[in-house]
Amino acid sequence: MITNIDFLDFVLYTTSKAPVTIGHLLKFILILSVSVLFSRILTLYLRRSLKDKVSKDVSETVLKILYYGILIIVFISALPLIGLNPSALLVAGGVTGIILGFASQNIVGNLVSGFFLMVERPIKIGDQVQINDVSGYVTDIRIISTHIRTFEGLLVRIPNQQVFTTNITNIVGHPVRRFEYTIRIRYSDDANAAIFLIKDLIDKEPFALLNPSPSVFVNDLGESSVNISVRIWAPVNEWFGIKTRILWNIKQTLEENGIEIPLPQRIVRIQTDAKEIPKELMPEKEIESVLNYEERVLA
Amino acid sequence: MYGHYNLPFTVEQEGIAISVEKTGKQLIYKRTLGTDKVEKIILGDEKHLIINPVEPLNTPKEITPNLLIEFEKTLLLAGGARRKIFLTFPVEIGVFIADNGDKNLQLLDVLSLVRQKFTLYGEVSNGVICKHWKSQIYSISPSPNPLQEGIIELTLRNVSSDWASISKVVFSAYGMKLYYAGDVFTRARMDILNRNTAETGFELQKLSGELKSSPLKDVKTRKEAFGVYRLKKLGIAPLNFYMGSGF
Repeated sequence: MITNIDFLDFVLYTTSKAPVTIGHLLKFILILSVSVLFSRILTLYLRRSLKDKVSKDVSETVLKILYYGILIIVFISALPLIGLNPSALLVAGGVTGIILGFASQNIVGNLVSGFFLMVERPIKIGDQVQINDVSGYVTDIRIISTHIRTFEGLLVRIPNQQVFTTNITNIVGHPVRRFEYTIRIRYSDDANAAIFLIKDLIDKEPFALLNPSPSVFVNDLGESSVNISVRIWAPVNEWFGIKTRILWNIKQTLEENGIEIPLPQRIVRIQTDAKEIPKELMPEKEIESVLNYEERVLA
Repeated sequence: MYGHYNLPFTVEQEGIAISVEKTGKQLIYKRTLGTDKVEKIILGDEKHLIINPVEPLNTPKEITPNLLIEFEKTLLLAGGARRKIFLTFPVEIGVFIADNGDKNLQLLDVLSLVRQKFTLYGEVSNGVICKHWKSQIYSISPSPNPLQEGIIELTLRNVSSDWASISKVVFSAYGMKLYYAGDVFTRARMDILNRNTAETGFELQKLSGELKSSPLKDVKTRKEAFGVYRLKKLGIAPLNFYMGSGF
């Protein structure tokens, strides 16, 4: 017992105020451990309580601030135990900060970016995003990194600094989005009838929004087909399902009504007599007169 | 079709067939509407089924709590005026299972007989998705099919001094209370604050016997319907809707 007390009283180093023993150091570690445990239990409890009441991205941000806030306060409060004065630390902070800054540029950069990501919130947990070449769902925004679950189900960890400084495409940033098809029909088909049928299909689809209104119009007279553009607005979380559903319905409905999607066409003329030039390829006299128009006027 | 049913039972109306059959110790809930079929197994004793109208925001999929009713004709309301009008709104049919005394309510099924369509209220960048419905404006309470449409008694109040041109109204379903008997009824208000903004909400107080606008119906016989939205564990959900993008 006496040996144990002696062990805890063993002086590690002496500060200007008092000596720091192993006991002090263990107490410091114990306080930090308890505070980590307490913060985790508290955030776990709050996460369950807030689950159905607050959206996940808001609750996660609040819980992270709470978790790290408790740890920072406890850490600063416990510093005197190991002979460090927090106020002195603040004075020395300038010099230490510069040294630490150089030593841990990337970590601090990511930390600061993470803070701004939480404040500015260009992305939220659950959003579908594209950051650089990575597309997927945001599963977590941590203090150092952002986690993305790609559409293929892979986990990609992106440092916050990279997220903050690069272009972010938030696919669900707005409540609605537009998608477009080009439907090709034969020249012999009635384009007005095709447009009517397509509009009717869109009208029957609940998630094809009334406002902004869909548009269906002849957009191009192609080489082999009349091209009809179909533009539809849909809720961001539903657009992909509608896009696949309507396209097939359009194809089926048009075919049922005798309107067909043509294959690419080329008219090939096989010339049997090399000396005989087809009438279509003979230069027309009118063209010649037009070409000589300037000469004739000048004359 | 609306009402309380002891199990087992069968009911059929307007193409909807709902039944709960007893198979051994199990109860099997079956519902058919056209090609759409639902079948669920119920394990529990002394339960009963409640079929009543619910908020029209659950089918085909719940993606918004907001309902936008577009008027057939634009309505002009003078500055400072207060008027009552009647509109129709789509009704969905909710099937609940409950203990005796309507305790421990659980939603079993929701179905709809009306056309489903969604729209955006506001701008693409900051608007809100709404379930869409088009209604005529009635000066007296209409009599629609209660399995398809309900009646909203809407009190319009123009608190500004300018004329207000109204062509639509948006409600949040969180405050919606439906009452049913031979019809489906709710009361709402729309306060026009200025040329471009208004606030809407449902009247939360219980209906008393003073409903003069629909004298044919005995208001006291109307039952309060159980709503899907009221079963949800809500945090801070706004009961009113602020129409900041025009009306």
